[in-house]
Amino acid sequence: MSRGTLSLERLNPLTSLTGAAAVAVITTAAGQWAFSLAVLGGLLALTLRQARAAAVLRAATAILLPFWAALLLVHGLFFPEGRTVLAELGPATVTREGLLFALDAGLRTGVFVVAFLLFSFTVRVPELLSVLSARGLPPRLGFVVVSALTLLPAAAQRIRRIRAAQEARGLVIGRSLASRLLAARLQAVPLVLSLVHESGERAQALDARGFSGRQPHTSLRTVPDSVPQWAARRVLLVLSLAAVAVRVALALFGGRA
Amino acid sequence: MASPSPQQPSLLLPEAPKRRRLLEILGAASIIVTYVVLVLTQPTDIAAGPGSLAALAALGGFLLGAVLLVVAVLPTLPTSTVVLIPIAMVLNIVLGQFVGSTLVPFYLDAIGTVLVAVLAGPAAGAATGALSSIVWSLFNPTVLPFAAGAALIGWLAGLAARAGVFRRFYLVPFAGFLSGVLGGVVSAPIAAFVFGGTSGLATGAIVSAFRAMGDSLLAAITKQALISDPADKAIVFTVAALLVYALPRRSSFQFPFVRRYRVLAGRAPQGRGTATQA
Repeated sequence: MSRGTLSLERLNPLTSLTGAAAVAVITTAAGQWAFSLAVLGGLLALTLRQARAAAVLRAATAILLPFWAALLLVHGLFFPEGRTVLAELGPATVTREGLLFALDAGLRTGVFVVAFLLFSFTVRVPELLSVLSARGLPPRLGFVVVSALTLLPAAAQRIRRIRAAQEARGLVIGRSLASRLLAARLQAVPLVLSLVHESGERAQALDARGFSGRQPHTSLRTVPDSVPQWAARRVLLVLSLAAVAVRVALALFGGRA
Repeated sequence: MASPSPQQPSLLLPEAPKRRRLLEILGAASIIVTYVVLVLTQPTDIAAGPGSLAALAALGGFLLGAVLLVVAVLPTLPTSTVVLIPIAMVLNIVLGQFVGSTLVPFYLDAIGTVLVAVLAGPAAGAATGALSSIVWSLFNPTVLPFAAGAALIGWLAGLAARAGVFRRFYLVPFAGFLSGVLGGVVSAPIAAFVFGGTSGLATGAIVSAFRAMGDSLLAAITKQALISDPADKAIVFTVAALLVYALPRRSSFQFPFVRRYRVLAGRAPQGRGTATQA
């Protein structure tokens, strides 16, 4: 199967959001490392079918590698509840239970991270916000989220311009802490000043266009949906609730939380 | 007694603010109840693996609380505050992403949130903290469950500003320290139950040290949070205060919250500030 044939970008944003949340909830409720591993494998296979597979995998690796290393450090070497000792390294004790705990928590977090990255890298944010606004979330939420996402690259570019301007005025970033702190101040203050100043102007412009109006807003964007997607969302919701219910029942009657 | 007709709005309290107040209370209650439930019902034996139920409760309860607070607060904020929130989020993400990738046991991911809280008050600070975590989670989903802790820091920073802490610079790090203690205590169960006890290599090393001394997972993470978070928030509050002090007075005094509660020392500039934003 070639890349793009199972593209999540074609889905209604609510369907992919429900899918990511359901995968995270069901995997957490199951609490089995083998199940988490199978789900993670499925998610990776799905990721490889996406046009933005490389970006998802890069982001997931950058998040998960340090996280897994920290889990190994915390539970692999120090796990006072462990009973089966595999090795003793000075004050550290490697136990089977500690390694299994790290494996369980690591795979569960892996599923959580890959599921939501797959959602966020394939969703069209304006469509998602339009759908959520239609379901009762404040329209201002849309402005805040889209504005932040637009500002992020603009702010990064502005930091580069400010640094270039300060370097042209003689700023040299040395290796000492004092030099770095001074350089940070010389870059942060102009950045914050310009952003806050612009926000004041933007507020006036938005108010002039009725941003603060309390009337219901009309959306010009129509997001395609379909009956199978509607049904899929319901099924995912029911499966998630069922998984949580089984876990609660097991905790109440089977003693396993 | 005849009931009022549906067309006749209440003269005592409009329907929308009443609904928003209810959402605010439900949001705060969801966060408090989740924390209490997690601490009271924490798994005593973790040798069988990380507890599923505690993770589900932490994920669901804290996230629901943060979303309810955002939905309740956002429509009530003036436009001058709403346009400031994305800027705060960008500052949080740019600075937090940088520090998160270094081997320093700090986060410095709330400078923008505290900046907004000082300029626009506790409600705006709480909304900024929660929204910042939600948007940041589009790039790094592991920050999503910490949205309630981030909202708490924004709210506490706003309360400190309202109390006049930012009029005296020497009080600012202490307010940050105290906020960090509370924020750390609230965030610890998320690190413990959702992520198996760690949120980074540097903080993981501190957790390992306490685990080596025989502490339970939640106790070790709470102690790690009590080491990292107060110092982190003391730095964050100080940096945010320095940035606010560096703003021209006509910019900082354009915010109604700053003028009403005399958040900053000195007089408001005459003329423009009071005219632009009501």
